[in-house]
Amino acid sequence: MSEKIGSKKFSMSKAFIYLILAVGSFLSIFPLYWMFVMATNHNSAINNVPPAFIPGEALVENFTNVINTIDFFGAIWNSLIVSTIATIGVLFLCSLAGFAFAIFNFKGKNILFVFILVTMMIPPQLGLIPQYIIITKLDWLNDLKAIIVPGLIDAFGIFWMRQYISSNVPKELVEAAKIDGCSNFRVYWNIAIPVIIPAFATLAIIRFMYIWNDFLWPLVVLRDQSSFTIQVALRGLIDNYVRDNGMILSGTFWATVPLIIVFILLNRLFISSLTEGAVKS
Amino acid sequence: MAQIQTKVQKQLPPTKKRSSLSEKTKEAISGYIYISPFFILFGIFGLFPMLFSFYLGFQKWNGLGEMEFVGFQNFKWILTDQLFWTSLSNTLIMWVLGTLPQLLIGIILAYALNSTLIKLKSFFRVSIFMPYVTSTVAVAIVFGIMFNDQEFGLFNLIAGLFGVDPISWGTSWWGVKVAISTMVFWRWVGYNTIIYLAGLQAIPNDLYEAAVIDGATIRQKIQYITIPMLRPIIILTVFTSTIGALQLFTEPLIFIGRTYREEGLTVVLYLYREAFVNLAFGPASAAAIILFLIIIILSTINVFIANRVGR
Amino acid sequence: MKKWFSLVLFLGLFLTLIACSDDSSSESDGGSDNSSSESEGNSDSGDSEQEAVELDFTVFGSTGYDVLIEEYQAENPHVSITLNEGEMEDVHNNLFTAVSAGSGAPDIAMIEISNIAKFMQASDQFYNLNDYGAGDVAANFLDWKWEQAQNVDGTFQLGLPTDIGPTTMFYRTDVMEEAGLPTDREEVAAEIDTWDAYYDAAKTIKEETGKPIADSPEMVFNAMRDQLDQQYFNEDDELIIEDTVKEAYDFTTKMIEEGLIGQNALWTPEWGTAMAEGSYATMPGAPGWMVANVKGNAEDASGLWDIASIPEGAGNWGGSFLTIPKESEHPEEAFAFISWLTAPEQQLKSFTNNGLFPSTPDIYENEEFLAATDDYFSGAPTAQIFADAAQNVKSVYMGVNYSMVNTAITEALINVASGGADPQKEWDKLVENVETQLERQ
Repeated sequence: MSEKIGSKKFSMSKAFIYLILAVGSFLSIFPLYWMFVMATNHNSAINNVPPAFIPGEALVENFTNVINTIDFFGAIWNSLIVSTIATIGVLFLCSLAGFAFAIFNFKGKNILFVFILVTMMIPPQLGLIPQYIIITKLDWLNDLKAIIVPGLIDAFGIFWMRQYISSNVPKELVEAAKIDGCSNFRVYWNIAIPVIIPAFATLAIIRFMYIWNDFLWPLVVLRDQSSFTIQVALRGLIDNYVRDNGMILSGTFWATVPLIIVFILLNRLFISSLTEGAVKS
Repeated sequence: MAQIQTKVQKQLPPTKKRSSLSEKTKEAISGYIYISPFFILFGIFGLFPMLFSFYLGFQKWNGLGEMEFVGFQNFKWILTDQLFWTSLSNTLIMWVLGTLPQLLIGIILAYALNSTLIKLKSFFRVSIFMPYVTSTVAVAIVFGIMFNDQEFGLFNLIAGLFGVDPISWGTSWWGVKVAISTMVFWRWVGYNTIIYLAGLQAIPNDLYEAAVIDGATIRQKIQYITIPMLRPIIILTVFTSTIGALQLFTEPLIFIGRTYREEGLTVVLYLYREAFVNLAFGPASAAAIILFLIIIILSTINVFIANRVGR
Repeated sequence: MKKWFSLVLFLGLFLTLIACSDDSSSESDGGSDNSSSESEGNSDSGDSEQEAVELDFTVFGSTGYDVLIEEYQAENPHVSITLNEGEMEDVHNNLFTAVSAGSGAPDIAMIEISNIAKFMQASDQFYNLNDYGAGDVAANFLDWKWEQAQNVDGTFQLGLPTDIGPTTMFYRTDVMEEAGLPTDREEVAAEIDTWDAYYDAAKTIKEETGKPIADSPEMVFNAMRDQLDQQYFNEDDELIIEDTVKEAYDFTTKMIEEGLIGQNALWTPEWGTAMAEGSYATMPGAPGWMVANVKGNAEDASGLWDIASIPEGAGNWGGSFLTIPKESEHPEEAFAFISWLTAPEQQLKSFTNNGLFPSTPDIYENEEFLAATDDYFSGAPTAQIFADAAQNVKSVYMGVNYSMVNTAITEALINVASGGADPQKEWDKLVENVETQLERQ
């Protein structure tokens, strides 16, 4: 990380940048903060006018209710397994495919790539029933595999990796490595991977969050409480006719905390990427 | 690395002749292998649902009983349904309101985050990405309260400061659209910012340094370095956000709930309701096919435009 | 970097192993492991020699059935029941997917009244409970409730009744007092005994306090609708709203236009807030389960609410049934269990522990049951009031598209209330939309 450009004559633009970021951060964090506030309040305080803006005293009570109603930690564990495996799988498969599309030449490459893009354009909502039929045929109902394996299909990830690799992995470098006798996979492993760490970090964050927060599909294929991911389990907090928003938001808030931790961990990779970038040039 | 590079320049022409055929085949084989997992997985989990939907477009089916072939009747129904056209125009309006600004703001925020001047970088990054992390349940409640129809709703309080009468965010034609677009904007700005940020970080600093020495302004730096270097990523975001906007589903569902009010009905919401609420899977599939064609056309146009901008 | 990546890869493989071993155990053994050891433990002490049977039971909401299941398992050691709880909408969607795909339904599925007609269409995917002796227990239940889960000619019984939602009128004593109207529940019922009287009371309340008599157009409309024998469809599934509920629609929209009814849609934050503030006088069409809802939304309003009967008779809102999908391999055992679970003694326990209002009229004479009062609602004898309402409910044919029509009417009402739309125009539009929609299924 070089702080070379920073100097006093840019202080105006510096102030402006801080302003933009501060406003952006405030607007972005506010709902999360409010979620926390509501997670610490009783339902009646949430419905007040004006609603509560400072944390209340029901923090422990609400979360105790959550734990008594659903298997919170079991579901978090399932979510961690599902999200981690699917994310790692996606990183590997998408970078490999993106690498092939960006670097290699083979027949039908463009058509195959366009096909991948076209799959993104199909509205997925109607696929629910046929996809469910496939899962039952595989006997994967109530099985985390039913989330992980279809979760490995990520057309966006391939597109992303292709774009990133094509603009950041120098073709000459690839050619040179090949001349030196590197196999195709070694080129991918030794030359492409180090350069595309920020792309990995980005895709990992996006994919992890997506799988963690997804509930439409898990809801359909996970019906046994022991297999519930956290989003499915959280649905169990919504009672038939009576809603305890304090409890619901408490569960929701604490289910977000692991995500924030994962994000902070992956965030470091962005920073390390800058030094990597320096090597390239 | 520098060494390798010089080697390339010296040896490139002869090698091309030496082993071009076998090298080419090798490369092709690797290529096919590398991309095969997607096609295998898609073949198992994606192809059947796709064909099934297509088949359903020509059937009458309530999801439970027997199917009945009806030819193009479903398409006729959809294309003559005023509500379908309303949902399409809603979708396009919310695309303009919610999606386009988010790309622009995303670039600005990413640029600010990437600026080497900034301290607290990690904090800003984490916070700007938070909306994407926040679960939809919380978003629904928070936005429900902020877009309250009464005078005391947050946005109506703000409107009041400007002398505007309270707006019915939940029921009025523009109110619903603005509210949903705000939610879309809020949820996806961080997402696009992170994507742009990854792209920006790949642009070598020396390019900017050189520009600074040449006396370039910020605008010039953006115009002549950032935008061109970022083009592949911009194309990607334009493409994906076009598709995302045309398939807008979660946010309107959260905001208008299961009332499926006309003002906030998007095409996907329309077909979802058609299938799972009204049990008309045939027309729903027909609508999905029509939407699919619209998406192909619009995203092609968009990428074409994005490709030319700034070139 | 290489190190980092191989570390991640290793971690990934490691987790895959864990996940795979974890899955296979949770899938096939996890549930059965516990239960089989449990039933073994029981069969040692018990004297049953029947073959061990496992039943999957899917419910929504807080039923408290886990306690009753334990009780049942203790008495019937050969049966072990796995309870899965979900959100109402999700449970129905999952059942629909399972029935549609022909795989994945539980042995026993709970279905709410609004979804009964939909699944009745797929009655070939469910056991006809009449074949298992449903006729013998029919007399336990309220007639109208029993008929809700029956096909038109009464030959097919889809489910056994669980809870019901007989409707009453909740009201704010403070607002009534301010308007100079009676606050005692008997007097309120006597004063507001017809919808015309309700209208007059609304005028008075508006003049004296400036508040509407009700905040939700939907609830006024529903209360009136539910007093009709025929509502949206006749038994040939023809749309008949023009001749039936139009009157209720006109009445409600007239009151809206005169500012006598507010504009809150159900389940919105505004709606919850209004309960706490007492910004209106009555909530007609409020069923038993609404008690918990009001308490949750308006904790501080204890003693300010009371309950009276609705003018011109009660209706029903909500309540569920237990069904046995065809996939089950043990329909006899499943039926034996659900007929036990819905028997009066167990329904009384469900009421006491979880507030599920019983559908078996025997209980309504039970002293202990009738003694239930609620301090929050000014000490009202809630059980008595809801039981009286339950016996006044009429049997109605709902039809498979009931909720579609209902959504359309609700939207029209809200449009009139919040957007000042013309009631007749909204009505014409909704009729047209519904008719278009009906063609397509």
